Amino acid sequence: MNIFKRGISSIKERTLEKGRRIRDGARSFIEADTGEKIKRATSFALDNAMYIIILLAIVIIAIMRPRFLSAASIINIISLTAAKLPIALGVGGAIVLSGTDISAGRAVGLTACITASLLQSTGYSGKMFPALGTLPIPLVILIILAVGAVIGLVNGFFVAKFKLHPFIVTLSTQLILFGAVLLYLQIGGNGGQTLSGLAPSYTSFISGALFTVAGIPVPRYVLYSVLITLAVWVIWNKTTLGKNMFAVGSNEDAARVSGVNVFMTVVLVFMLAGMLYATSGFIEGARIGSIASYTGLNYESDAIAACVIGGVSFVGGTGKISGIVIGVLLLQIIFVGLNFLSVDQNMLYIIKGLIILLACAVDMRKYLKRA
Amino acid sequence: MRLLKAISFIILFALTLTLFSSCGGGGDGEVSVFYFTYSDTYISGVKGAMDAALRREGIAYHNYDANGNQSTQTEQIDTAIAKGSRLLIVNIVDTGSDDAAKTIVEKARAAGIPLIFFNRSVSESVVKSYDKCCFVGTDYEMAGVMQGELIGRYLLDNYSRYDINGDGKISYVMFKGQQGNLEAEARTRYAVSEANKLLTAAGKSALSFYDRSNSNGYLVDQDGMWSNAAANNYMKTILSAYSEGGGNMVELVIANNDEMALGAIAALNEAGYNKTGGRTIPVFGIDATEAARARIDSGAMAGTIKQDGVGMSETIVKIARNLIDGRVALEGIDSESTVGDWRVNIPYSAYTKEG
Repeated sequence: MNIFKRGISSIKERTLEKGRRIRDGARSFIEADTGEKIKRATSFALDNAMYIIILLAIVIIAIMRPRFLSAASIINIISLTAAKLPIALGVGGAIVLSGTDISAGRAVGLTACITASLLQSTGYSGKMFPALGTLPIPLVILIILAVGAVIGLVNGFFVAKFKLHPFIVTLSTQLILFGAVLLYLQIGGNGGQTLSGLAPSYTSFISGALFTVAGIPVPRYVLYSVLITLAVWVIWNKTTLGKNMFAVGSNEDAARVSGVNVFMTVVLVFMLAGMLYATSGFIEGARIGSIASYTGLNYESDAIAACVIGGVSFVGGTGKISGIVIGVLLLQIIFVGLNFLSVDQNMLYIIKGLIILLACAVDMRKYLKRA
Repeated sequence: MRLLKAISFIILFALTLTLFSSCGGGGDGEVSVFYFTYSDTYISGVKGAMDAALRREGIAYHNYDANGNQSTQTEQIDTAIAKGSRLLIVNIVDTGSDDAAKTIVEKARAAGIPLIFFNRSVSESVVKSYDKCCFVGTDYEMAGVMQGELIGRYLLDNYSRYDINGDGKISYVMFKGQQGNLEAEARTRYAVSEANKLLTAAGKSALSFYDRSNSNGYLVDQDGMWSNAAANNYMKTILSAYSEGGGNMVELVIANNDEMALGAIAALNEAGYNKTGGRTIPVFGIDATEAARARIDSGAMAGTIKQDGVGMSETIVKIARNLIDGRVALEGIDSESTVGDWRVNIPYSAYTKEG
């Protein structure tokens, strides 16, 4: 309750502070001479480039294809964003530590396989564990959260204990996890087959309608994604772990001197990330209808891109949950939008690359200015 | 300077958006075509033929690349439906189970738009569950059967020449494209069993897998991409351990598709095989891609099974035209190749140097 009250009062304070800053900014902007005005306007445009682009993109696409703003299309974009959000939140923590996590996609793949195998309908002919029946959903959630936590523990342990670069550690675990996925799919005479025949209770738990807007159902996992995002927001902003994470990310030595347990912080951040990948894995099976060895492949690349676009800097120590949400949303808007504009798929890969490059350049500009 | 940068930055973006969109024919009422992956040579051949046929018919269309991932494809279908697609043409990624196809059928049904699956097989019950759904492809088991017959005939033509170590058995390696894919499973099984039928009928012993400790009887592309690179890696490793000198040389290479066959040939070439003048290990593929046909004509590859990509594209576009004009889906399609009112089979043919 206390956390909650403090949270609300701090939001109130910050809003007031923001209002003051905007007023002061506007007054000094009006008083400044023309050269100064242009300089400041440019600086403003560059610092908020991502927001300007998102607006511009929506306006252009909506003018050319009015259907882009139809209920069906908006719900589609929200669902896509919700599905990708947990992974990005996990990777975001690793990036704040000035690291990265490229094992995310395969972690999603493994947890998705485990989820699907435990939640196949009783009596489905290709069931991996015919004797097991369909396990209760809460039990499966606990199991895969544990699996995710173990994956994160391994990542975090090797990063923190041996001071290895997270890229190398997670490159290794990425390969190990893929091997684990392939082995797992061979269990019980499954013979590497796709896992499906998912229990209706599971699919409706994930992709059943939360409510409908203009006849278009909003899937339930949108709600779960919102709840997960809130939980991660609390961890990042209202807990010691969150504060330590930012401290370690901006200056590990300084954090250690001030008494932060760096080892524990790194391990816990990676464990949280692992658990977030697990929730994505849990959602994935029901969302797509089947799980195969390629599930989760390259998911980390979109997640990392979303974080960078949302202002989580690879320099470490900076990043906001709201930024990550906007980053994921922006990527989905751009991709869906480009499809609406019937842009050639080959060009999509190129545009994706350009956007990430631009976002990083804009991000680094802030640091170059300070230096 | 700063201003210049900012403006050019934003204009550049606006330009990218608008420039690349000029080709589109409008969101409403376009046909959406979903490909399993652009990286597959055969599929990109089909895509070229399909694009040409759709343009000729004056049908507005938009292509999607699933990049070998069912999640990506399902999301793209959601986007296309939200965009107002009038017809979905789907080259499904996941053929290992019915559920992915069922999910797609449900999406099409909810939106009330017709659906054509093609190339990668979808089971009869799923296609028949929706009255506006049909399938254009091949009788997938036939590719493996025909490849097996081709191999059997080829070997019997000059058995002693191909039995390099003279032990009376042909040792082979089999490259499988994807684990859990119906077509890959059938090709892997029938290529060997049909070849063995012909061999044993002629009094020869059955083919033997080169590595006795591998009980699977195949090497699979772990990424499930039926790729050149996977077969090439395997073949290089094999050639480093198996040789004529050791008396255990691999005497026959069978691949699920031409890409994998070409990967194996590249490795053989490096080891000095399958070049003009040198010894040639017979390599068989499926698809008859341009590259494979060139290799067969030059003698580096033994044979392939032709999947008529152009014929398939033409048939699909004919059906699309029927559906757009409100006719029955399979109206005017050659009745010999249709199965009921839900399926069209495009026939295979063998391709060798002799023709």
